[in-house]
Amino acid sequence: MGYKLNFSVIWKNLPLLLKGAWLTVEVSTGAILVAILVGIVMGVAKTSRHQFLRFPAAWYVEAFRNTPLLIQIFLIYFGLPQIGLKLSPFMSGFAALVLYTGAYNTEVVRAGLEAIPKGQIEAARSLGFTEIQTIRYVIVPQAFRISLPALSNNFIALLKNSSLVSVIGMVELTFIGNDLTAWTFRAFEVYGAVTVLYLALVFSLSWILAIIERRIRLLI
Amino acid sequence: MHWDIVTKNLWYLLWGTKSTLQIAGGVLIMGTILGFFLGLLRLSNNPLIGYPTRGVMEVTRGTPLIMQMFFIFFGLPALGLELPKYPAAVLAMTLFAGGNAAEIVRGAIQSLPKGQTEAAKSLGMNYSQTMTFVILPQAVRRMIPPMMGLFTTLIKDTSLAAIIGVFELTRATQETIERTFASFELYLTAAFIYFVICYPLSLLTQQAEKSLHAA
Repeated sequence: MGYKLNFSVIWKNLPLLLKGAWLTVEVSTGAILVAILVGIVMGVAKTSRHQFLRFPAAWYVEAFRNTPLLIQIFLIYFGLPQIGLKLSPFMSGFAALVLYTGAYNTEVVRAGLEAIPKGQIEAARSLGFTEIQTIRYVIVPQAFRISLPALSNNFIALLKNSSLVSVIGMVELTFIGNDLTAWTFRAFEVYGAVTVLYLALVFSLSWILAIIERRIRLLI
Repeated sequence: MHWDIVTKNLWYLLWGTKSTLQIAGGVLIMGTILGFFLGLLRLSNNPLIGYPTRGVMEVTRGTPLIMQMFFIFFGLPALGLELPKYPAAVLAMTLFAGGNAAEIVRGAIQSLPKGQTEAAKSLGMNYSQTMTFVILPQAVRRMIPPMMGLFTTLIKDTSLAAIIGVFELTRATQETIERTFASFELYLTAAFIYFVICYPLSLLTQQAEKSLHAA
């Protein structure tokens, strides 16, 4: 093999790679925030007394957790236009990430809500708390604290999963890595650098989440 | 909607499913073996062994699987290691599974009370005796539910091998769509097939978790 490693291609294209990393950060942050909302809404629905709320939430969770994210991305991007719903690569990728992670978040929120002993709610109600006050002061602070570590895992998974949206042409770190490889034929160096960037992103996110977890434990 | 396309090509999709299950199953076995090695090395008291093992685990667990596949399939030929797509995908997935299995092994062993190791040591057992007769029999029980979860993950993640061209369910679906253009029907069918495999597995995993906590 006459291939000589040449890392100058990385230095020359570092701004481009960093831009890709930043796009991954933006997409992941946006998807994390929306997926939290989905998790809360569906998690509350899944613990509801009403069957017409509980059933759809349960099926949503099972459907999205038991199929590959890649198939969901393809189904949304290539399949939905056939029934008249055409989404851009960005919207398709974003929607798939949110729905997939939202399903995992739902389970975490449900577990967090169910971990609170019924007696606490009864005690709050007998102290004269309204239903809203019970939720605000008794349920949410505890459920949030219980859920946070598992939610953190889901967020880190989302950050890594965001690499998959490159296959439908959404521009982020993996997409830029593929592009750069196609121009320069330096697959080893480029994919090596992209891997290092992902590692840095994942470490930074776990570090930030650990700080948030510690703060919240002190706060509540 | 052209559901007749699905019925006509169902055998092809099921052929791909067989390949998916073979890859996921093979990777689970090799990944578990690798995971035991890494997990035990990770717990070594020797920092020269513990830290590098930890590094390997962080890289396999902290980067996207698709990146590992690209690196092995497109990147390694630069070092003279040219792997065909099938072994490349299996190698990447095995490393990925190994890193995750190692974390499961480590977690299960560390969740056991320290007194168990101390008791075994004070009975005069050496390291391998302690592991074989005291620690692992208890730890393996705790590893089973998360390992089942890992198997579900691997079945789903086998779809990524399609991106580098490996034939399995997702690739079979894509090939059928290239011929028939029925992307909605076929991707939905593929999702359904994955669901039919993964949903019972998830239920079994939950069951295993429950019986573990009950014991």
